[in-house]
Amino acid sequence: MSEPCYDLAIVGGGPAGQAAAEQAVGAGLSVVMLDEQARMGGQILRQPPYEMTVASWLDARGYRALKRQLARAEALPGLTFLGRTSVAGVLREAAGFALIAVPTDSAPGRRVAARRLLVAAGCYDLPVPLPGWTLPGVMSAGAIQAFVKSQRLVPGERFVLAGTHPLQLILADQLVAAGGTVAALLFAQTPGAVAHALAGHAGAALRHAAPLAAAAASYARLRRAGVPIQFGRTVLAVEGRDEVVAARVGVPGEAGEAIACDRVGLCYGFLPQADLPRSLGATARWVERTGGWATVADAWQRGDVPGLYVAGETTGVAGAPAALEEGRIAGIAVARDAGRIDAAAAGRAAAEPRRRLAHLRGFAALLDAVADPRAVMTRLAGDDTIVCRCEDVTRAQLLAAAEGVAAPSDASALKLVTRAGMGLCQGRGCEAAVLRLLAERTGVGPEAIGGFTPRFPVRPVPIASVGEVGGR
Amino acid sequence: MDAADVLIIGGGLIGCAAAWHLARAGTDVLLIERGELNAGASGQNAGSLHFQIERRFLEHGEALADQAARTVALSRLAVSEWRDLPAALGDDRLDVAMHGGLMVAQSDDELRLLERKAALEARWGLPTRLIDGAEARAIAPYLADDVRAASFLADEGHANPRLVTRALAEAAASAGARFAPQTVLRALVPVSGGWRVTLRRGAADVEVAAASVLIAAGAWTMAVGALAGVHLPVFPIGLQMNVTERVAPFLPHLVQHVGRRLSMKQAHDGNVLIGGGWPSRLARGEDGFDLARAPTVLVDSLTGNLAVAAATVPRVGALNLIRTWTGVVAITADQLPLAGAVPGRPGLFVIAGGSGFTLGPTLARAVSAEMLGRSAGDAAEAMALVAPARFAHLNAMLA
Ligand SMILES: Cc1cc2nc3c(=O)[nH]c(=O)nc-3n(C[C@H](O)[C@H](O)[C@H](O)COP(=O)(O)OP(=O)(O)OC[C@H]3O[C@@H](n4cnc5c(N)ncnc54)[C@H](O)[C@@H]3O)c2cc1C
Ligand SMILES: Cc1cc2nc3c(=O)[nH]c(=O)nc-3n(C[C@H](O)[C@H](O)[C@H](O)COP(=O)(O)OP(=O)(O)OC[C@H]3O[C@@H](n4cnc5c(N)ncnc54)[C@H](O)[C@@H]3O)c2cc1C
Repeated sequence: MSEPCYDLAIVGGGPAGQAAAEQAVGAGLSVVMLDEQARMGGQILRQPPYEMTVASWLDARGYRALKRQLARAEALPGLTFLGRTSVAGVLREAAGFALIAVPTDSAPGRRVAARRLLVAAGCYDLPVPLPGWTLPGVMSAGAIQAFVKSQRLVPGERFVLAGTHPLQLILADQLVAAGGTVAALLFAQTPGAVAHALAGHAGAALRHAAPLAAAAASYARLRRAGVPIQFGRTVLAVEGRDEVVAARVGVPGEAGEAIACDRVGLCYGFLPQADLPRSLGATARWVERTGGWATVADAWQRGDVPGLYVAGETTGVAGAPAALEEGRIAGIAVARDAGRIDAAAAGRAAAEPRRRLAHLRGFAALLDAVADPRAVMTRLAGDDTIVCRCEDVTRAQLLAAAEGVAAPSDASALKLVTRAGMGLCQGRGCEAAVLRLLAERTGVGPEAIGGFTPRFPVRPVPIASVGEVGGR
Repeated sequence: MDAADVLIIGGGLIGCAAAWHLARAGTDVLLIERGELNAGASGQNAGSLHFQIERRFLEHGEALADQAARTVALSRLAVSEWRDLPAALGDDRLDVAMHGGLMVAQSDDELRLLERKAALEARWGLPTRLIDGAEARAIAPYLADDVRAASFLADEGHANPRLVTRALAEAAASAGARFAPQTVLRALVPVSGGWRVTLRRGAADVEVAAASVLIAAGAWTMAVGALAGVHLPVFPIGLQMNVTERVAPFLPHLVQHVGRRLSMKQAHDGNVLIGGGWPSRLARGEDGFDLARAPTVLVDSLTGNLAVAAATVPRVGALNLIRTWTGVVAITADQLPLAGAVPGRPGLFVIAGGSGFTLGPTLARAVSAEMLGRSAGDAAEAMALVAPARFAHLNAMLA
């Protein structure tokens, strides 16, 4: 069976992937898009139900634009969409790229060949190790939203939400609207820190009044609903034997008080999903505030590997509208590099998306500053706290391994000794924490230390599915 | 100038094992390593303790197979070396498991190959047992129904490459060996009474006087040899490995395939390791292979290896693959190890090539003895077979 070689393969059907597909298909290129989800939409428009209007940190206008984009992308003639398909990895081939695509139902995998590749894989929740965080009932904001958004289901009774990211407001608002109880909504940063961040980006705050107003509206609604909202306090530890029964809440360094709950939601921010580009050797930079790797792109969203493009939150977390503009630029760049449009036409087409992108990045910088988790997140883990939850490796074990004869001084060597980062999640969950710990010990910054070596596959996939990819 | 009785170049299993033997004997040892300990092949390998003749020796005609068979003596020594290692190191965390190994055959041709191999092994005194499919499945119920036969060797097994090298390093350090990680060899100059060595650590060069030097630089052996002005004909080969998620123990043996590339075992942690000599692609630089960059995964090796694994042990097909990685192994032209004194270069020794995890501790012990001027004992005859002297012709015309 010989499969076609597409002009472009897109990993991710979020706003970035959709916008790129529209441009590339429009330029007459053959395009295949792969996504683990059944339908396009990405994180922001999880489907179904797809007519729903859940709150987001976007204002209504931003939302409408995303939905129009989605409708156009779903109607694109000639776009091959492979849903419920994980891209386990991408390997370089003479003529471009070979994607190892494995259906999420464990059916045989296949090799999808493409001359160019766009990775628009989005972002994931920043894990913050704290005592008890591996108990069933502790969830990331993303996991809670996945229930609320795509299934309209409240995954618990009494929630304590904690973190530094403003998305928490939206999440609490959604939970309350869907019938859940939010026992406390905790912003770990002090009101002073928030004011300082806003003041530092006053211009952006003024230019982006609409999303701020949306956040303020959520805040007011939550207050009216009687949800206690506090600043400068967070979840210090989660209590329970087999599942969550309470959250210990207070100021880091103090004992805190217990608040009864059956769910704890943590929301300290998001990390770019950059493992596919990194596994291809593309340069990524360390994100100072949250940790994680943002793939480096040029002004045309090209990564520094020939034929590779990156767009959306794979390049850094900046919100859905920015992801969409980056995707558009990437699609124009692919059309240009494939010789379908000339440089002048590409420049003209990209001018407006670039202007909007610059504007949107101002808001992203503001959000980043407000959500800065650094002052808190490193103060929560004790020595017995598990840092790598796949392999149950504690902070004390990591510290012990970093002593001794010719002690490991980089992430891969520490991983080899302790197994931290060797589990199912490929180290996505603990890499940032491991690097911070090494940086503390060695005085060398995380970027210079370098993360775990990115490996195939980026998702666990059945042996037989990959074995059958050959099919010859 | 710093000084040491022995300078060891390379912090893999072999360098660390030699450091342990030499330091225990009262030698002042300095081991240098370019990066981190155990970051080379020693930390990337499959951890197989395989003592049956490897299928790579059977692929290239009788002469090679006969020659390989003569290293069976080394394998026999390696069996006792591994059995004793945990106790000798006082470390029970090396995950040494020697519950037997099966090399299976599925087709007629493979069956004939297996018989030929077993005959060779019998001739050289390796107690391999040829068994039929039913007996193989009685020992290893997880094997596929179409496994026709297997050769079984009770001593085979595996150990944990994550832990062994560091355990050796700890033992060596306790015996007084010094370790200098993040230190690269820059120059190796013969002087009267030994070698003058230039090392670079950070931005600074340091000089060390060493009475003798052991090159334990794995795939980099050829480049290190060049610094000493000799050809050490060891070639880098890119390999790749796969590992599954952790599952409850079900596969206590080492499983290999005589006709298709496969080695498989379940590690102590529960993961199933799948390899067997499938190639990865070495990075290429301006003027040759670039060993500073990791080899890249080859799709055909990936799918081929996993297909053989699932065909041999069907249960494995349902497990999740969580990681594939590449590593570089060093191979000589005749596929035998290269271990012992380098002719014409007094005080220079090398250990490289081949299945250096299985044989590494044994080779390190024997060459350490040679460096100490002691007899290699039981190993003497086999060590003659792997001595660098067999490539002396390459260096006859080098000044
Ligand atoms: C919990 C959460 C809440 C958020 N809320 C907001 C919000 O309210 N407002 C806002 O502006 N932004 C929000 N964001 C950020 C949001 O993700 C982005 O703004 C937007 O969705 C990014 O678009 P994207 O195209 O870059 O990626 P995404 O929309 O995330 O799309 C990426 C897609 O790639 C797919 N994918 C990834 N890897 C693979 C793979 N290996 N194989 C197959 N498919 C793969 C995923 O399934 C996903 O559908 C949120 C993010 C998270 C995690
Ligand atoms: C994927 C794979 C699977 C394998 N499976 C098996 C198996 O199942 N069983 C088996 O027996 N064998 C196996 N092997 C082979 C085995 O791993 C090696 O033979 C063995 O580890 C070699 O050990 P070493 O110490 O010589 O080399 P290495 O572990 O590679 O160590 C050499 C060290 O020297 C350092 N070095 C090099 N040049 C310099 C310099 N100029 N200055 C300072 N330091 C330097 C390097 O940085 C490196 O750390 C496998 C190999 C690979 C790659």
